[in-house]
Amino acid sequence: MKKIYVIAIVMIAAAIVLLTTAAEDMSTYATFTDASRSGERVKIAGQLSKDKEMYYNPQEDPNYFSFYIRDTKGDERKVVLLSEKPQDFELSEQIVLTGQMKGDEFVATDMLLKCPSKYKDEEVYIREEAK
Amino acid sequence: MQEIQYVGEHLWPGRIGQFAIILGFVASLLAAAAYFFATQRRHLPEAGQWIQMGRGAFLVHTFSVFAVIGAIFYAMAMQYFEYQYVQAHVSEELPMKYIFSAFWEGQEGSFLLWMFWHVVLGLVLMAGGRQWEAPTLSVLSMIQMIIGSMILGIYLGFGDDPMRIGSNPLMLLREVMDAPIFASADYVSQIKGNGLNPLLQNYWMTIHPPTLFLGFASTAIPFSYAIAGLWMKEHKAWLKPAQRWALFSGAILGTGILMGGAWAYEALSFGGYWAWDPVENMSLVPWLILIAGIHTNLIASNTGHSIRSTYIYYLLTFIFIVYSTFLTRSGVLGDTSVHAFTEMGLEWQLIGFIAFSVLLSAIMLGIRYKGIPSPAKEEPTGSREFWMFIGSLVLLFSSLIITASTSLPVYNKIMQLFNPLFEGRVITDPVPHYNKYQIWIAVFIGLLSGSAQYLRYREFNFAGYARRFGLHAGIALALSGLLTYLTTRWIDANAWQYLTLLFFGWFTIIANADYLITFVRGNLKQAGSVTAHIGFGLMIVGILASGLNQRVISKNLFVMDGLIEGASDEQMRRNIILFKGSPMAMGDYEVAYTGDTIDDFTRTFTVHYKKRNQAGEVVESFDLHPNILYDKSFTKVAASNPSTKRYWDRDIFTHIASLPQVEIDMEYRRKREDSLNYRILQALAGETIAFSDTVPLRGLDTFMVKEYRAAVLEVDRAPAHPDYKPEDGDIAIGATVQIARSDEDSIFTVHPVLVLRGQVLYSYPAQINELSARVRLNEQVFDAVFTPETELDYQAFTFRQGDEVSLDGYRIQFAGFNRQPRHPNYQPGEDDIAVSGMMNVQAPDGKSYTAQPVYLIRDSRPFNLKDEIPELGMHFRFTGIDPATESIEMMIARTEPKPLQIPFEVATNSLRSDYIVLEAIEFPGINLFWLGSSFMMLGLLLSLFVRAKGREQKA
Repeated sequence: MKKIYVIAIVMIAAAIVLLTTAAEDMSTYATFTDASRSGERVKIAGQLSKDKEMYYNPQEDPNYFSFYIRDTKGDERKVVLLSEKPQDFELSEQIVLTGQMKGDEFVATDMLLKCPSKYKDEEVYIREEAK
Repeated sequence: MQEIQYVGEHLWPGRIGQFAIILGFVASLLAAAAYFFATQRRHLPEAGQWIQMGRGAFLVHTFSVFAVIGAIFYAMAMQYFEYQYVQAHVSEELPMKYIFSAFWEGQEGSFLLWMFWHVVLGLVLMAGGRQWEAPTLSVLSMIQMIIGSMILGIYLGFGDDPMRIGSNPLMLLREVMDAPIFASADYVSQIKGNGLNPLLQNYWMTIHPPTLFLGFASTAIPFSYAIAGLWMKEHKAWLKPAQRWALFSGAILGTGILMGGAWAYEALSFGGYWAWDPVENMSLVPWLILIAGIHTNLIASNTGHSIRSTYIYYLLTFIFIVYSTFLTRSGVLGDTSVHAFTEMGLEWQLIGFIAFSVLLSAIMLGIRYKGIPSPAKEEPTGSREFWMFIGSLVLLFSSLIITASTSLPVYNKIMQLFNPLFEGRVITDPVPHYNKYQIWIAVFIGLLSGSAQYLRYREFNFAGYARRFGLHAGIALALSGLLTYLTTRWIDANAWQYLTLLFFGWFTIIANADYLITFVRGNLKQAGSVTAHIGFGLMIVGILASGLNQRVISKNLFVMDGLIEGASDEQMRRNIILFKGSPMAMGDYEVAYTGDTIDDFTRTFTVHYKKRNQAGEVVESFDLHPNILYDKSFTKVAASNPSTKRYWDRDIFTHIASLPQVEIDMEYRRKREDSLNYRILQALAGETIAFSDTVPLRGLDTFMVKEYRAAVLEVDRAPAHPDYKPEDGDIAIGATVQIARSDEDSIFTVHPVLVLRGQVLYSYPAQINELSARVRLNEQVFDAVFTPETELDYQAFTFRQGDEVSLDGYRIQFAGFNRQPRHPNYQPGEDDIAVSGMMNVQAPDGKSYTAQPVYLIRDSRPFNLKDEIPELGMHFRFTGIDPATESIEMMIARTEPKPLQIPFEVATNSLRSDYIVLEAIEFPGINLFWLGSSFMMLGLLLSLFVRAKGREQKA
């Protein structure tokens, strides 16, 4: 047998092993219920509950920002992000959080915001009246 | 419906551009066809004519591309906001230096940038491609045609939903959008530009995209050569020119990727240079395959082996460039990437582009595969080519697993086509996911690029060479072990995986350095490879040092202990609050926020770092200047730019994570100011008064009573305040107020200012952060300080210079004119004729006072500005000059001075606003990363240079 075939077989075997182990790193977007049940680190996608309190007071803790989101099943929970409050947070259409449930709160270490595209409102490009 | 006749639109750049887009598209089609026939009929006499035609068409195409770009630039520079692309990327405030960045911020502009580079490279091929000109330019023109179709913007088909081909950058706003504003004929004068995203307003955005796109574009050349080689069955001749282009492409694309990393590290607040973001990954993948191709290309040139793999690698490189374009521009990445473009409806065209590149490659390769020469005998196991080939497979393997993980959203989309209920999968923590696989790739590459250098091409007698090989490799291994040990004295590599990688990083450095000294000896042809491989080793050591030992000094934590395990919650808490003037210990430093300045929309902070020795003496100190950029409305921070102190062995990276809300949002500050609970107090100058306030405690139903003391020291009629810019006609009053908590010793002195400008009152309060107190003057202060004119009984006096009169026992003398008068309410105008009268007053008690009322003529109208001697209650108005008699008219009034009751207001529920939320990270050894990666690019360029020289000498 040619050496190249041996190598090819080794690499394919390695690829299969890697793919099976990589599956552990992947998951579907979880809901709060899933997250409480498994207790593992998960990604949750949801929408900001704009009527609920958003709390960030750096004087107390610059790494504590809390707010409420509704997950895809409509379940609303409190989220604690261990970081500062990002700009444009209120405008976000969708929020993707990485973290885990701790008691009733979802403690997130990473957050991705999806913001609406800029060109929705006419006001955006109408010149402001001269001051 | 009646057609509206719009006014103020500039339609001709659009028309020229539109025409050039179509012309360029057609010309690329013609060029592709003409060059196709020139290649097919290359042995026939007509070939020359086909080439001429191809050249003509390609030149027309070139001209068109330039014309489109020129038209867009022109519209951008002139700020023709009626064009959608101009409106979206330019604004009136945008400095001209960012016009290039604005141009390639959008998808269409970046397609044009890509086409621009293809055209430039195509011209080089035309000038120097010789027998390769026709086939390569035929392929390149086809590619240009496809990219050109992305900006065509034409509609095919009929009915309600015609298919749109491409997105045209020269569309008018009113053509792409339906809004009531377009009902007015003069809408052009009512719209403004959106401008360039503030995050992109820096020089990186000027240099990174052109470099990266030149890298992208240049991969099309080895691709074209590969197709040409297959097409003309010149399986050997194409290798040399393709190699030069691949080296060029590898260096440029690599530099482009690195610039992206440098940008992320230096100018954005990502806190690192690589985040395994899909967009980053998909620019790395083609580069890895290209590097694999360069290696098999070397094997092929030297031994005749691996020609097939070289074809495959170069074809794959371009296929992955196209795939990467698809991923980043189709919107499929969605929420998995921070910097992908948004959807534009080009998905199917991009898929078509992939299909084109895959099918063309597969068909050409399939037809010719059997005919590609390949030595019957296998590469010997002890030969360099064998291990180089293995190395190229490792690179391919690496790129395939990166692609597999990055393509997860694509996989999800495909699954959802078949099963709409399929739930998409995501990688929970991408960074450790990629790291834990790529660490082994890096180990293999380190091992191979170290040991394969010692091996020889076409080794048939490895047994005879084994001793020498063993000796050198053995010494290199031993030295690497030693250096690995020494490195762990400097940085922590706290897991065996890291130690292994560190070891092989050093091994490749040592082995290549050894190879350079003992084997190469001035053979320039090898110098490039040695440089690049040493660079790789240095880069690995740099990644481990800066990644593993990255330390968030703002929290005194080693954050990346978990490079492959992921970070714990506590490690994520990276910010610290820093109050102005109160230093905090961070790492080895004492860090203080000492001040800030604001210039337009940029607010720059000064963060002072101080290092002390054991005796407490300051041994080092420096300032860092992170800044933030406000958006145009001053209601949010649009960008936060870090500042980094560079040492040879580490960096200290600092960025502003957040600010007090009142400092971020001026709207909020105003509301907050209005909601403050001000208490009105009154004190005679010099008198101390006491007051108290009740403060509700958050979360508790209790209150706290705080006792204060306050005093007004003096009143200032020409006051200064950091936010107050005096204007003509202002009446301003400032006061020096002292406040202290009754139970504390510190006394705080502040200077609130109140200004009456016309009919509007402007208050400039003063903040005492330590007391959470805010002090401002009450508007009654004007009545207290100024006597209303209506209460004054002026008498007119006529003075000649030196004249003296007496009023209520005061002796008033006109001492003369001052032709450069100064007056708190007077800002000299250009054509003013202004003069003040110097009035000396002597009181009955012998004290002297002076006043200088001003008389001025502005725009041929006389004005006068009164002056006052508050201590005497004496008011002066200089109302006229009689040049004939050289006398002046002066109105003088006197009232009894009253005791100064100064009303002021204090709110004790104000928020502190004198702090910043800071993140500071120490990156040890990061310069090794930059040095190593630069060496890699330098090595590629050096190889290119040597080979280009070789070509010249042969020619």
